[in-house]
Amino acid sequence: MFEKNTSEQTAVSIRHLSKSFDGVEVLRDVDLEVREGDVVTILGSSGSGKSTLLRCINWLEQPDRGSIHIGGQRIGVNDAGRPMPVRELAKVRARTGMVFQSFNLWPHLNVLHNITEAPIHVLGKSKAEAEAHARELLEKVGMSPKADAYPNTLSGGQKQRVAIARALAMQPEVMLFDEPTSALDPELVGEVLAVIKDLSAEGYTMIVVTHEMAFSRAVSDKVVFLDKGLIIEQADPETFFTNPSTERVRKFLEREES
Amino acid sequence: MNASAWHMLLEGAWTTVWISGISIAIGVTAGLILALIRIARIPVVDQVLVLYISLARATPLVTLALFIFLSAPTFGINLDRNVAGILALTLNTTAFNAEIWRSAFRNFSREQREAAMANGMTPWVTFRRIMLPQMMITSLPGLINEMSFLIKGSPAIAVIGIVDLTRVTNRISAVTYEPLPPILVACVLYMAAIGCLVWLQRIAERRANRLAV
Amino acid sequence: MSNWEILWSARDQFWSGFFSTMEIFGLSISAAFLIGCGMLYLLEGSRPRLTVPLRVFIDGMRMLPFLILAYLLYYGLPAFDIRLDAWWSGVGALAVYHGCYFAEIFRGARLTFPPGQVEAAKAHGFTKGKMFFRLILPQIVMQTRPLLGNQLIYALKDTAFLVIITVQELTAAANSLAGTYFIPTEAFIVVIGFYWAVSVVMEIIIKQCGRFSAKRGFDHV
Repeated sequence: MFEKNTSEQTAVSIRHLSKSFDGVEVLRDVDLEVREGDVVTILGSSGSGKSTLLRCINWLEQPDRGSIHIGGQRIGVNDAGRPMPVRELAKVRARTGMVFQSFNLWPHLNVLHNITEAPIHVLGKSKAEAEAHARELLEKVGMSPKADAYPNTLSGGQKQRVAIARALAMQPEVMLFDEPTSALDPELVGEVLAVIKDLSAEGYTMIVVTHEMAFSRAVSDKVVFLDKGLIIEQADPETFFTNPSTERVRKFLEREES
Repeated sequence: MNASAWHMLLEGAWTTVWISGISIAIGVTAGLILALIRIARIPVVDQVLVLYISLARATPLVTLALFIFLSAPTFGINLDRNVAGILALTLNTTAFNAEIWRSAFRNFSREQREAAMANGMTPWVTFRRIMLPQMMITSLPGLINEMSFLIKGSPAIAVIGIVDLTRVTNRISAVTYEPLPPILVACVLYMAAIGCLVWLQRIAERRANRLAV
Repeated sequence: MSNWEILWSARDQFWSGFFSTMEIFGLSISAAFLIGCGMLYLLEGSRPRLTVPLRVFIDGMRMLPFLILAYLLYYGLPAFDIRLDAWWSGVGALAVYHGCYFAEIFRGARLTFPPGQVEAAKAHGFTKGKMFFRLILPQIVMQTRPLLGNQLIYALKDTAFLVIITVQELTAAANSLAGTYFIPTEAFIVVIGFYWAVSVVMEIIIKQCGRFSAKRGFDHV
């Protein structure tokens, strides 16, 4: 898991995904393949549907059409073509880990218990095992000293690092990041991006919705650009940032640079 | 007031405490169950509960206690007066508690639920491990407030012959011909009990606010 | 004769109980409202030595069951040679008790009353009394009306306690009919229906006032 996986195994496969809210099409026939060990960043202006795309992957939003497979298993719809029963859905969801823009830590649990809650009550791990693993993860995100603190006492950057550890604790096959630094004060963005960069170096499969161009360029294996619900550009970061093929992306990059 | 008057008064106080205590315990639990049933929005059942809550909020406790105690025998049920009293208090407080629980559920953060689902929790685990512990903290001030109201309404059970802290003052003055002292002592005891609850409510509010930040 | 027919033939007793309850309710909440307003005025601070005892009194009342106050007036006052009959004891207790709740509701709203308005009124030369009755009180009453509406329902329910000190009101009527004809279930269902109907009507009126108030811009949202 910690070595960069060079095989061509597909981690996430999205086909013909469409979704609309109140008659407005947010996603239009989106296709996307993410290979194991790849880091894919999704860019686009606000309202382009990039968060919705990410939230469809673990079925927090239900697409109108199309399919999503995680490690070969379809999410949301069972073999008979019916909506998945909640227990089964929860099991597939547990194969992904999600980090939210607004952290969404559980305020009634301290940092350590935020991390061990799902491993104990979803995966059925023993308390000792879950806590040992949680402490390792806290070490990794640099939050060990705060294990007993409650979320409300932490800074935004610290909260987000705990949220990353919480998602990792489920040993997911794919990590989903929904604008993980957008709610942070500028001086706190760096510490969170550094953690995500470390994870990419360790070979985690990740899909990151972000506004951070330099970060996207540094960590991505593939950059995807969404515009009005359509993927209009998919390329390696070098090509994407230096030689984009569409006018729309060129304009977007110019605006971001200024 | 002599020793036996004090003794009677304390017995009356104890009656108020245990009958209120049982009603509160049942009322808080039943309120949660009703709130969950209402959230499930089962047709017919939901309308029945809305009607029950509306009626329970408008019916005076005295009237309810009399109704239960007097009409049970016509259905062939022989109700002990204490049971009738507890039933009346419980029917009343459950309606208010159900609304408190329901608003805690409805105001629960959608983001936190999403985080639970994203971590692979089923709705039941999410409810039990993430929502309920927080709902208990956020509802507690309202529930304690409702407990104060229940104690303030508890003298209603005197109407069906239960000798509670209010009624016992009649019994004492029937012997001593001095109604004022026992009534004043009863006032002090009520103030002490409700004062305690008000104090607990403040602590609960502080805890709830800490969670909300 | 069915039980319901018996009740119908005894409808006059229901009506007299109902009117008695409404009379007690109307009189006592009007008095309670005036008491609440008066307490709010005294809390404005023109007589600082009154403020603390008044707050203690209001908080004390809110920690008592209504019935014990009625007992105090009915059974306790004769010790001071003041004798009120059951009816006046009941009305008096309701007025004082709910007056304190009204005062507390007003006080809560007064705390958040915009000080700028008070200053503007002072700058325009309003006297203290005029400012209170023309500016502060109307706004506070309109603003607190949902809480006042709740309190009205509590007051209505508290009138039923008076059956215990032998006042002849609605619940007493049901009780005596239940005893006379042995039809408690039907008698009490009718009476509970009365209380419910009055509560629902009060709620509707409060909501209608809300519309009026919104139109006049009384709610600072």
